Amino acid sequence: MAEQPSKLFPVKPKLKSKPRTTNQTSESKYWSSFKTHQIPGLISVRSLSFSPTTGHPFAVVHSARLSIYSSETLSSISTISSFSDAVTGASFRSDGRLIAACEISGRIQVFDRNTRGPLRQLKSHTRPVYYVQFPLLDKLHLISGGDDALVKYWDVAGQTPISELRGHKDYVRCGDSSPINTDIFVTGSYDHTVKLWDMRVADRKSVMEVHHGKPVEDVIFLPSGGLIATAGGNSVKLWDLLGGGKLLSSMESHNMTVKSICVGKIGRDSGEESNQSRILSVGLDGYMKAFDYANMRVTHSQRFPAPLVSVAFSPDCSTRVIGSSNGIVFAGKRKTKEKEKEESSSTLFWRVAPVKQPRREVLKPSYYRYFQRGQGEKPSEGDYVVMRPKKVKLAEHDKLLKKFRHKEALVSVLGGKNPENVVAVMEELVARRKLMTCITNLDVGELELLIMFVQKYCTMPRYASLLFKVAKRVIEMRAEDIRASVSLRSHIRNLKRSVEEELQIQRSLLEIQGIISPLLTSAVRR
Amino acid sequence: MIRGGKNYVSAPPAFSNDAKRLLVCTGNTVTVFSTSTGLQVSALEGHTALVTSVIVEPASSPDKKILCNCWTASLDGTIRKWDFSTPELLQTVDILLPIFSMVIPSYLLSQREENNAKALDNFAYVSVEDKKAAGNRSKALCGQIRKCNLTKSQMSKLILKETKRPESLIASPSGNFVGIKNKRRLHIWKVPSVDSFSVASKNITLHHTKTFTCLAFHPIERIVAAGDGSGRILIWRGFGTQKFLVGGGVVKGRSADDEEEKPGVRDNDDAESCSTQHWHPSEVTFLSFSLDGAYLYSGGKEGVLVVWQLDTGKKKFLPRIGSPLLYFINSPDPSLSSISCAANQILVLKMPSMEILRSISGIKPPLSSKDICGGLAGRPAFDCNSGLVAVQTDNYTIQFYSLLDDRGLYEVQVCERNHQPGDEVTVVVTLVELSLDGSMMGTVEVKLPEEDIGGLICLKFWELDSDDKSFSVSTLIYEPHRDAKISAIAFHPARHMAVSSSYGGDFKTWVSKDEIKMIDQMTPNSGWTCHAVGSYKDKPMTAAAFSADGSVLAVAAETVITLWDPDKNVLVAIVGQSPTPIVRLTFAGNSDYLLYASHGSKPRLAVLRMSKLAECWSYKLQVEDLSYANDLSLFAVLALLPESNERTFGGDGIILLFNATDPIPVTSLSVTKAKGGRIAFIKGDRSSLKLEVLDGNPLQTLLAYINGDHEYVIFDPYGKEVRELSIIRRDDSSLEETGQYGYASLYGKLPEFNLKKSSFSLISSAPPEKPWEAIFPYSTHSLPQLDKLCSEFLESLTEKRVATVE
Repeated sequence: MAEQPSKLFPVKPKLKSKPRTTNQTSESKYWSSFKTHQIPGLISVRSLSFSPTTGHPFAVVHSARLSIYSSETLSSISTISSFSDAVTGASFRSDGRLIAACEISGRIQVFDRNTRGPLRQLKSHTRPVYYVQFPLLDKLHLISGGDDALVKYWDVAGQTPISELRGHKDYVRCGDSSPINTDIFVTGSYDHTVKLWDMRVADRKSVMEVHHGKPVEDVIFLPSGGLIATAGGNSVKLWDLLGGGKLLSSMESHNMTVKSICVGKIGRDSGEESNQSRILSVGLDGYMKAFDYANMRVTHSQRFPAPLVSVAFSPDCSTRVIGSSNGIVFAGKRKTKEKEKEESSSTLFWRVAPVKQPRREVLKPSYYRYFQRGQGEKPSEGDYVVMRPKKVKLAEHDKLLKKFRHKEALVSVLGGKNPENVVAVMEELVARRKLMTCITNLDVGELELLIMFVQKYCTMPRYASLLFKVAKRVIEMRAEDIRASVSLRSHIRNLKRSVEEELQIQRSLLEIQGIISPLLTSAVRR
Repeated sequence: MIRGGKNYVSAPPAFSNDAKRLLVCTGNTVTVFSTSTGLQVSALEGHTALVTSVIVEPASSPDKKILCNCWTASLDGTIRKWDFSTPELLQTVDILLPIFSMVIPSYLLSQREENNAKALDNFAYVSVEDKKAAGNRSKALCGQIRKCNLTKSQMSKLILKETKRPESLIASPSGNFVGIKNKRRLHIWKVPSVDSFSVASKNITLHHTKTFTCLAFHPIERIVAAGDGSGRILIWRGFGTQKFLVGGGVVKGRSADDEEEKPGVRDNDDAESCSTQHWHPSEVTFLSFSLDGAYLYSGGKEGVLVVWQLDTGKKKFLPRIGSPLLYFINSPDPSLSSISCAANQILVLKMPSMEILRSISGIKPPLSSKDICGGLAGRPAFDCNSGLVAVQTDNYTIQFYSLLDDRGLYEVQVCERNHQPGDEVTVVVTLVELSLDGSMMGTVEVKLPEEDIGGLICLKFWELDSDDKSFSVSTLIYEPHRDAKISAIAFHPARHMAVSSSYGGDFKTWVSKDEIKMIDQMTPNSGWTCHAVGSYKDKPMTAAAFSADGSVLAVAAETVITLWDPDKNVLVAIVGQSPTPIVRLTFAGNSDYLLYASHGSKPRLAVLRMSKLAECWSYKLQVEDLSYANDLSLFAVLALLPESNERTFGGDGIILLFNATDPIPVTSLSVTKAKGGRIAFIKGDRSSLKLEVLDGNPLQTLLAYINGDHEYVIFDPYGKEVRELSIIRRDDSSLEETGQYGYASLYGKLPEFNLKKSSFSLISSAPPEKPWEAIFPYSTHSLPQLDKLCSEFLESLTEKRVATVE
């Protein structure tokens, strides 16, 4: 029952009201940690794709060009411009050395990433081709889909289509290859269907078909390979392939057409959700949403100032790029901790560290360290630790208040940056019945500080109730000093202006209220 | 019956010779506490009025340290000698005058001169009040300082000094001097080495320009220190050189009026020098020299213990004790001492480091700022199931006090602010309310504005942590009803719902988020949110209550009662019409009766029947508190009596027990200090309280009454006679600590409980006044057809006659 006299309570600002739903979950914190960097000056970014090799450069397709950007610096490395028409899509090969790009003319070209020279030209589609992809871990083939409703499977070296897959009744605009099997891929078409193809099946017919209900804008395999997500209209739907194409869920939180989706992964360092996958979707409404398909809910939503048409997420979880229809690429880069980088680099290279033999020095009283020996000792398990009593850290104004030096406390806190603390000290002075005395005793320089503070913050709703009255009282009590000083007069003019502004705002708010309230009452009646 | 809540700091306590016991004057008894555990060991019962001093007979030699004799003096005019180890009464000296203070300097003296003092009688100096003597003269000097021979039980006729009021006596630790303060003077007597009645002691007087508040003698030298009302400490060195020193040939040689020789000494007083120290901002409340005389302890109203090093004037502090300090007592063990604080708390200090070892804490006294917040503010709240009472304190905490154990359990800091005792009160915890099961608490704190700037009202909801049994804040709401004050908080009996009503004309229903089905399990944020706001004709809402099943919410809108559906926030009915604002509202348990009490020029207690929405009966009574028993059909009323009737009832208040159906009270008890008092039915375990289980009455519900001074009594409302049962206290610490409990302080002056059955001339029956508006349950603008109204009108007339109390 040993009691100590009551603690010293420092003055505390009023608590802020908490929003009912905490908008910063650890996950949304993760997603908003991608600091957006704008890459302007492009024209309608139709497609974005990351290279699977380390460093993860990404290809941006815009008008009749294909630019490769470094995901480290977010600057352009190289540009391929040997196209005759607008480029519509691009894909890296699994080793990152080749890029395939398709264009409106229907031609597909394969480039060397480094030399930028066109290696192969695949001509067979008669209409624009919007989808081209190297199957995962397959270096020899290409999949493409065009507006002629055909899906083609190419032999790249021979520049010939191995098979032509028929079945779609409208433009094929998207597709994806399975992450677990090189022979399986899906394509989505404007005929509202997504078809699953298996190259091992002899009759060239689709193995499975799901009906999205809207023209399909994008389709992806989820990392497990058993699920696919389709985007079309304003919905993203999730299908179970292993369960026979069953619809698992539908996310309809976009207001306009969802143009593109990709798989995003939460990095290693963000708590519980680490290494989980999310579906990132972007739409013409300018929103990017992260969809947790395990729990079937949207976990993050972010708005961009343009209609978004493409999205890609780097495999190392460090970069996220979003392309907009007006030519801006919103590239988000996440700061990774040094440790992570080191870890990844150490797995790449063999390093032989020189074996160090720690030399034990005998400490002698002539060393400074001799007197400090044992001070850094950590207590072992069984030791009884006597804690040093925690020192209460007090702010300057708290120390002054403790000594009943009220005016100094007010001046010291006014010199600080935090308006909440100033208001808290003022409230404490009110509770001590000393605020009026303080105001009377302030000299002109300190009075200027106070008036500047009041002028700056008196229209903020949190402080208004106190500061308006304080302002009034200051003007009443120190009228002569204010009249005598030029700078004080100008501050008072500013104060007057901000009060007038506030009045104007109040008036217009009242007007709005007047407009809304009859609407509300009539709505309730109905 | 249990009494408790006594004042521990009405008089200075005393340490036993081995410093293991602390003897504390608690009302009519002296309670012995253990300094090592802080718990009660035993009690000395026998005095019939407030005990004013306790003196432990010092041990003359180390082997006599186990000697446990003490003297006590009381307002009942007796001095008693006790053996407090057994506890046993040894001797009684009756001097027939109320004693306000007593010192026995010969004890201290005989310590040194043991050989020749053995045969001598013990003389006590007492400060008594003689009303008779004062009545004869024009100047009312009723305080007297007299001597008393304890060995022969005789009182001396010699009056050493007369003062306006009885002053407290201070003896020097050496036993040579006895002093009192008397306004701006100090009177000091030298105790003769061989004392007797006839010896008129030598006497000097020291003067000052301000009123003295305390004094202390140096243990070795002739130094006296005195504190005054402005916080100054005056230290006279070598007082009484001329008068007291025997064979003062050297002294006589000095010239008496040599100013340079006597720096700081006023008015040719008999002292060598006088120095002044000033640290305390307000009144010095005690002074005490350390045992070796090197340090001076002083304490003030601001609650800081200051240690002065006498030679250098250096100071050391023990700040933030939290309430004005009253007494400082050194123990025979130099490492222990005690401070008594005005917050009914005794702190045992470990001395050189001034660490607080133990705190012996009684129930906190009522708020000093009660009148500031007005109305029903500052009243304690009850947790009926566990027998706890929550009391607001001046330093913004709430103390939870166990009524059944008579012990403080824990304190909750409501407002995190440094309390400066003695300053103007600007922040007050005005309301505290506990839910029925005691798991939730609502508090309201008010910050008063300075010249209309910066006032703030905070409503806080607290939740009980079931593990460590302490409350933690769950939700804080700034200005819940804008700047209007909150009149009441009421909790729903079963659910996490509460209502707060304000004088600003609205009430708000609050629900905890636990109540709302949480869709999102990810955020375990269990705060309280506003569920609904209601108002009735913009009238101030003055009281609120939930019905026992929680289906009806009653809110008093000044003079009428509005009944609401708490879930849908729909006005169900309007009942009652009181001439003056309603201040309390209670449903009478499970029955369908609603009680209300109104104050003002026409105070009134009325009972409404919910099934008929009509008034049954009413009394013209100034009701202080209402309480109902959940499982009984009883309710209890604490009413203030008009002053003219105080004599007949022997108290200023009366507790009435009613059956809701019957306007004739079941029992009535008259009580003292009813202003600011509260009553509640609490559940107590009879067997543990050593109350007899009456045959055919296995009920466990007891009635607790806590008066305006926070003394309380718990009794069985069904007991036909109020028995004086001393309760052996349950103890969980040590075996020896079974003691007896006695009177609360100041109860002895007046007979507290006069059972006055059927003597009910005072209470006049008032017919329920029903102005016409209250008859119809319709609002005036939508009155139905006349033929419909007619039947209701007639019904109301018949109802009225039935309801009238004969």
